[in-house]
Amino acid sequence: MPDPLITDIGGHPAGEIPKEEMNQLYWEKLMIAMFGVLSSKGIYNLDEFRRTVESMHPDEYKKSHFYWRRLDAMANLLVEKGHINYNELVRRANERLASGRRDHAV
Amino acid sequence: MTHTDDDHGHTHDHATPHPTREDDDLEMTPAEAKFLALKEMLIEIGMVTPAEIMQRLEYNSRGTPHYGAKMIVKSWLDPEFKKLALNDGRAAAQALGIEITDAELMVIENTPQTHNLVVCTLCSCYPRWLLGEPPAWYVSKAYRSRAVKEPRQVLKEFGLSFPEEIEVRVHDSNADLRYIVMPMRPEGTEGMSEEELVALIPRDALVGAALPGQPSGTVTL
Amino acid sequence: MQSSSGNRYALGDKVQIVDLMKAGHVRTPAYVRGKYGTIDHDCGNFENPEERAYGRVGRPPIPLYRVRIMQKHIWEDYEGPEGDSLVLEIYDHWLRPA
Repeated sequence: MPDPLITDIGGHPAGEIPKEEMNQLYWEKLMIAMFGVLSSKGIYNLDEFRRTVESMHPDEYKKSHFYWRRLDAMANLLVEKGHINYNELVRRANERLASGRRDHAV
Repeated sequence: MTHTDDDHGHTHDHATPHPTREDDDLEMTPAEAKFLALKEMLIEIGMVTPAEIMQRLEYNSRGTPHYGAKMIVKSWLDPEFKKLALNDGRAAAQALGIEITDAELMVIENTPQTHNLVVCTLCSCYPRWLLGEPPAWYVSKAYRSRAVKEPRQVLKEFGLSFPEEIEVRVHDSNADLRYIVMPMRPEGTEGMSEEELVALIPRDALVGAALPGQPSGTVTL
Repeated sequence: MQSSSGNRYALGDKVQIVDLMKAGHVRTPAYVRGKYGTIDHDCGNFENPEERAYGRVGRPPIPLYRVRIMQKHIWEDYEGPEGDSLVLEIYDHWLRPA
């Protein structure tokens, strides 16, 4: 078969299963919500999203965190579909990170 | 850069209650910054509105393991409901007044011969509309990798062990269905009320990684 | 929804999961490719995710089945009794009668 998808990890060796309860951060909840709104509107579908996750670099995937992965795939898909400009996204993200500016008052 | 509640430098909208805002006190991460930038851009181009996001946020917060436990207990108490649950999980949830979505739901029954365990090896499929967000362990790569190949060793990590005569059956939620496990009703629970029975069922029992507690209140794990 | 293939598999039918050697988005995990099992459940028809993943229409909907496979058959080094099995969802075009 062709190289398995990076997400196709059933049966791969792995260590202990992490048991700590992780509360969803507020921004993660918002992100999941926004993801849902976009897919409900047909901007993309779940299969396209999964396909985008699968196209991550394998090393990146291994190190990735579930919510960060979802965010990255969502952004990549929106760029792919021509809805947003990637460089602009990066610029604004860097500006936010530098300023620490949060506006959860959505 | 650290923040306290006092020096954010912008006003909070207290008109609408918000879910926990633990991250107001946490340093911003690159991921959060990226999300906020993305949200800002999408709102600017009119692809989403803040109201739509908040509405969805609220909608997403409805699912809870309590709903799953209710379905199980109803099945224990009512053979007709149990039949419905095993044949059409969504219809059974709907019958309990739980808001359903398009996703198919299959209820898998534990029996004296079979213990069931659910995993999604390819991503993290889970009946979120019913149960809410899955626990971190369920979406971990370690669980996704090992549950299909060494379920008994995984179950041991959850404090569960089954004799060889009982089959451990793994369900990989790899395509279009979502699953919950219907544990067996524990011994000595006759006469308990529905609420008491619901309280015996932990979240992890609904995917097969735990068993319902005993009436004494201690969970045999 | 009409099935695109002719006959449907019946409960208990013996099947093999074919390795279609298909690149790109698929939902058939590597660990079951080539394995033999039995039809455990007819899930009905679903739009083909292999098409939808690329923005193509996934119609006509295709049959999806739950297939049960014995663990000792999947894994050479399975540490557990003979009776343990695994069930997963496989689309019609990945199956053939065995």
